[in-house]
Amino acid sequence: MNVLDAIVLALRQVWAQKLKSFFTLLGVIVGVTFLISVNAVVEGMNRYVQEDFAGSIFGINTITVQRVYSRRGGREDARTRRREARNPDITLDDAQVLRENVPDIWYMAYSSDRFMPEVSSGQNTRKNVRLIGVTDEYLALQGWDVVEGRGLTRIDDTRSIRVAVIGDAIAKKLFPEDSPIGHDIRLGPFRYRIVGVLKRQGGLIGNIRDASVVLPFGAYQADFARQRNVVEDLQIKFRTSEAMVAGEATTEELLRARHRLRPGEENDFSIETASQILNAWNTVKNVLLAAGPGLVAVALVVGGIVIMNIMLMSVLERTREIGVRKALGARRIDITRQFLAESATLSSLGAAIGVVIGMALAKLVDVVTPLPASVPVWSIIVGVALGLLVGLVFGVYPAIRASRLDPIVALRYE
Amino acid sequence: MMTPAENTVILTRDLRKDYELGAETVRALQGVDIQIDKNEFVAIMGPSGSGKSTLLNLIGCLDTPSAGEYWLGGQEVSKLDDNELAQIRNSRIGFVFQTFNLLPRTTALHNVELPLIYAGLSAKERHARATQTLEAVGLGGRIKHQPNELSGGERQRVAIARALVNQPSLLLADEPTGNLDSHTSAEIMEILVNLHRQGETILLVTHERDIAAYAKRLITLRDGKVERDELHAAGVS
Repeated sequence: MNVLDAIVLALRQVWAQKLKSFFTLLGVIVGVTFLISVNAVVEGMNRYVQEDFAGSIFGINTITVQRVYSRRGGREDARTRRREARNPDITLDDAQVLRENVPDIWYMAYSSDRFMPEVSSGQNTRKNVRLIGVTDEYLALQGWDVVEGRGLTRIDDTRSIRVAVIGDAIAKKLFPEDSPIGHDIRLGPFRYRIVGVLKRQGGLIGNIRDASVVLPFGAYQADFARQRNVVEDLQIKFRTSEAMVAGEATTEELLRARHRLRPGEENDFSIETASQILNAWNTVKNVLLAAGPGLVAVALVVGGIVIMNIMLMSVLERTREIGVRKALGARRIDITRQFLAESATLSSLGAAIGVVIGMALAKLVDVVTPLPASVPVWSIIVGVALGLLVGLVFGVYPAIRASRLDPIVALRYE
Repeated sequence: MMTPAENTVILTRDLRKDYELGAETVRALQGVDIQIDKNEFVAIMGPSGSGKSTLLNLIGCLDTPSAGEYWLGGQEVSKLDDNELAQIRNSRIGFVFQTFNLLPRTTALHNVELPLIYAGLSAKERHARATQTLEAVGLGGRIKHQPNELSGGERQRVAIARALVNQPSLLLADEPTGNLDSHTSAEIMEILVNLHRQGETILLVTHERDIAAYAKRLITLRDGKVERDELHAAGVS
């Protein structure tokens, strides 16, 4: 009997007992589904973090200076938090020194922000907005495009003019019919004139930008800031990553000098880059990728044991058939091959079902959540290969038992 | 040691088979000498425990003797290993069982194809030969039926087709009518008689005298030995 005959026979057997086959395959299906979908989500997350997330929060080749670490991926212990609580503020003077001394600055901007319970146009009100005061290069540095009107200028900033650029969601809510440009909005007791509207971003991160009201730093500081002369968030963008590395070092030196830190003393400020959030993500990813194979392996081994049991039962049930086949001239190898082909076909089928379900899950994640999920081709290949392997490995014992049956005993078996 | 004559299909010399049954040794066959020539139609009878089944298993190459010689078509087969015996069963022996032993949920055609699969024939050739053999036993219209859609007589005819499809030199029928009513039994025996006329060598094991009467020669076993070996006057000509 050749392999093709054995596979055809196996498929016939699987088809004859559809429900039993399905339950037999659950373990393998779950294992491969998990493999495919987790890989798809991790891969999707990976791309998302590298292309969108890190870029939109920290920007490419951008360093962010803050009083304390705010977006750290790892754990923070209480001691670190107590130490950071004593960190001095980053001041406008610090910013001035950095602007004058850090080499190769492409854009530099600083900002402070606060939550605002509502903003109103007189007729309409939008609740829960983020109020953010920025310097003139901020929009360019962040890559926030203005689709209508203009951005903010240095003059807006230095003269503390009460103008505002608003996010898309706010524009739609406050001015559903006509253009917001030239209208006033009320922020608490103050009136600001709208000069521009930001391009809609959408997605997970976009919710924050689209609900932002951007003001010149000067006016923000005068009307809303909790402390004067304090910069909450300072960003410097460089043209190349080499320039960024050099700029980061200079920034660190300058701030240490200004804060009079001795060598060996820890920084009392934070400098973060996109590469740091990528590192944090990589930690998470590595945990997922390390735990993944373990879970997949457990599912597959369980699946394999189930298959082995079912095959042993099948051998018992079909003892007579084996006897007949032997009487008709089947050699041991023919019987072994038949049952091996059956378990391998069975588990490969399970793997194929797992691939389909896994891809469907990945697609679901892709459509329903803002996370892009994409199934890497290698995971499909690995999934099917693992299924085949499980069938072969766990099929050996039942197959050999079947092949060793004595035809006389087997023919008499009831 | 002599090689048997060319037209001798079966030759046993002092064939013995012992079984260990717990602490006891059962001497199932205690020296059986049989010679069956080409185109003979032989019935073996004997009470239960006489060694009928053991002899059939040995002749069918399902088992090997404890001592003695067994020549099948000019080849000493008593010393062959598992795989060689499988090949002999496949190419030289056709089995017909009391319980038909067709594979369930499998068409008549596929059942008949089985020996050809193990003989390594191509699917096309298998199909052609199996169809042809089924037609020969009068089941040309039922090749796609599964065993549970066939009557007892039809099932046994499928089994006969399966036994014949590899053109064996020996047809071994073990109580072939044991599960059939008398009318159907007669039909099946007619088929065997016809096959004998066409030149087949047939060995029939039965405990029914009227079934044995279809054969031309009757061997009676008792206590693991041949008690009588007689040409049958009542045999159907």
